[in-house]
Amino acid sequence: MFESILNLNSWFLFFTLYLLIGFVLSKEVYGLVPKIMSSIGWPIEFTQKLFGTKSLPYLFLFPNILIFGLFTFLPLFMNFGFSVTDGTSINFDSRDFSGLDNLARITQEVQIDTGGINVENDKFKAALYDTFVFVILQVPIMILIALFTAIVLNREVIGRGFWRAVFFYPVMLSPVVVAFLWTLILKRQGMLSQTLIDWNWISEPIQWLVDPAWTMFWSIFVYTWAHMGFYMLILLAGLQSIPTDLYEAAQMDGTSERRVFWRITLPLLMPILLVVTVLSLIKAVQAFEELYALQVGWISLVSYIVENAGIRGQKTFFGLGIAAMASLIVALILIILSLLQFYLTRRQAKL
Amino acid sequence: MRKSILLASFLAVSSFSVNAAEIKFVCYQDANECDVLEQMSSVWENSTGNTVNFEVVGYDVVRDQLENQLEAGSAPDVARITNLGGLNQYYLDLAPYVDAGAWETNYGATLPWYRKPSGDNGIYGWQTQLTVTGPYVNVTMFEDAGVDMPEEGATWDDWADALRVVKSELGLTSGLAMDRTAHRWAGPAFSYGAKFHENGVPILVDQGFRDFAETFVGWHEEGLMPAEGWPAGGGTAYRNAAPLFLDGTVAMHMSGSWMLGNYDANITDFEWKVVPIPCGPGGCGAMPGGSGVVAFSSTKHPEVAASYIDFLSQAGRAGYFAANTGNITAHQGLQKAGIDYSGVSQRVSEGLSTFAANAGKAASSTPQAYWFQGYNKNFAIYGIVPDYITKAITGEMSLDDALAAIDADVAAKIAE
Repeated sequence: MFESILNLNSWFLFFTLYLLIGFVLSKEVYGLVPKIMSSIGWPIEFTQKLFGTKSLPYLFLFPNILIFGLFTFLPLFMNFGFSVTDGTSINFDSRDFSGLDNLARITQEVQIDTGGINVENDKFKAALYDTFVFVILQVPIMILIALFTAIVLNREVIGRGFWRAVFFYPVMLSPVVVAFLWTLILKRQGMLSQTLIDWNWISEPIQWLVDPAWTMFWSIFVYTWAHMGFYMLILLAGLQSIPTDLYEAAQMDGTSERRVFWRITLPLLMPILLVVTVLSLIKAVQAFEELYALQVGWISLVSYIVENAGIRGQKTFFGLGIAAMASLIVALILIILSLLQFYLTRRQAKL
Repeated sequence: MRKSILLASFLAVSSFSVNAAEIKFVCYQDANECDVLEQMSSVWENSTGNTVNFEVVGYDVVRDQLENQLEAGSAPDVARITNLGGLNQYYLDLAPYVDAGAWETNYGATLPWYRKPSGDNGIYGWQTQLTVTGPYVNVTMFEDAGVDMPEEGATWDDWADALRVVKSELGLTSGLAMDRTAHRWAGPAFSYGAKFHENGVPILVDQGFRDFAETFVGWHEEGLMPAEGWPAGGGTAYRNAAPLFLDGTVAMHMSGSWMLGNYDANITDFEWKVVPIPCGPGGCGAMPGGSGVVAFSSTKHPEVAASYIDFLSQAGRAGYFAANTGNITAHQGLQKAGIDYSGVSQRVSEGLSTFAANAGKAASSTPQAYWFQGYNKNFAIYGIVPDYITKAITGEMSLDDALAAIDADVAAKIAE
């Protein structure tokens, strides 16, 4: 209690001092309320006097830039530093500079430290390949389902608002909850196996998440289920932005539904569709939470990075450097995708 | 006069309060270990005026986050850990503050697990308990199936035969489950003749290792071991097979003595027991281990932290801890004298005796187990073996390729 009173006194003292300084430094105003407001805002006035009004926006931006820099740019530079150094420690004064050795450790056939076979290369290539397969299959499937759902829910259907909420609901669930729900269904004694056995479709239960024949399918299914609603909503907004008089004119001309879709809806929706596609590509490359919580039978790129970084308490001398280098390769892929999105968006805007 | 006495009292209390230290203790527990340590700590607190601030956390915090905290300079003063050799660069050497001779006498067998590889004679931690790996068996299942459990000295093949019959008679999904880590895998591997090292250098895949790997993959292929176990994990991920034993999916769980308290508290619908470790051509292998309480060199109160750990390590307190947590003590004097486990159930008491006997058998027949426990990079190896053995089980790679990959990956992971 004594400590909290002390804290309260400190805050009160600080605030009083702040107001006193403001009272002295703030400009002359008439009236008690204007004077108090001026005393509160004295840092703004003071900065304006020193640097002029043109610099004032940067003052407001500074806290955000500071936080952004601390949590985005600083980790980026640190990551780059980890990728070119070796050691178990996260402190750079305990790490040795190693240049591009970590890139060699994940790309070369021969392990550069032992001279033996490089299994890290195999693991990284497997993670790259499996993630590529996941992305190539998951993104088009999700976009198609999201587009189809958006088109249906853009019509006058009964309970339209309810159905929109139903499809959006999984987006609000945490990835761990999504994984837990689907594990109950997909584990060997789960609902799916039991139901199929009851229907005599299979004779023995299947471990859907781990069986090599099924693990990718269910990874794509669950991931699509969890994220489709978000992109459906964006496409729905895009559909609603298309002028309705175009559809009325097409109807008056007796144009078929199919032709309306291909000639009016799709071209006008294309800018948003492109943005949605690139966004979902970027998200799919970084897929991790649901897959990790589901404990699927393949390792994604981000899972590979997490394993090597020693986050699970298994630090090795080169692990952090290898993880950092792998993350830079992922970043390069994402930069290319982002530039593609930027180019396509600008091109569409010009058109 | 009264004012002088009051002033003197106030100064005494103030100086007592000023000198009193507060140390932070990050503690994980399998059952009630931290609760018991907290009870024990109150005695020390009352006698010294210092305070122990307990932070009870999940095991994954100690396993995954503690080292980063140590590197970032935000570590606690004291922690209960399991990666005994892996964190030795951060430990506070207690030797200047304690009776080193008494420590060597009472904990000499386990002190090397905390030390750096060569030339280090420091005293770094109190081994809270000695754990041993070994199997738990669902006795009710064996009785219902009409199968006699193999006797002491039986081999893993004998147990596999018995479990096949139990599985078949009762229509079980599988018979045997093992936690997904090389720490549990090592014991049976030692029994099959695996040495795990050559002159202190980890060389995993020898003939014994290969023989057990073939057997282990075969058990999965025939369905004796469940798909929810090792095959259900990816990469180096650890999976605890206890849920499979608890819910009656399997008749045997290869785990360790730390699960005794948990099973005693949570299993109410079937009879279970700890059985002697199965043997093989290489001996009767089991992995010793356990957790320890250490102080870190970054502590602002080294003398206080050392005094606290020294207090806990004394015979009376170590015995109290063992008796109230149902664990095997690492205090060598108490191991000879025996612990009064009257506070625990008969099942736990019998289990402790069996595990203690397993530890003795392992020490004499498979001493490489004690080397592996003390190896400071064993945590990296624990995940490598399941990573590739799982790939061999699921058919993603051949067993030969998996074994070659294990050797290559271990060599790469321990290289510096």
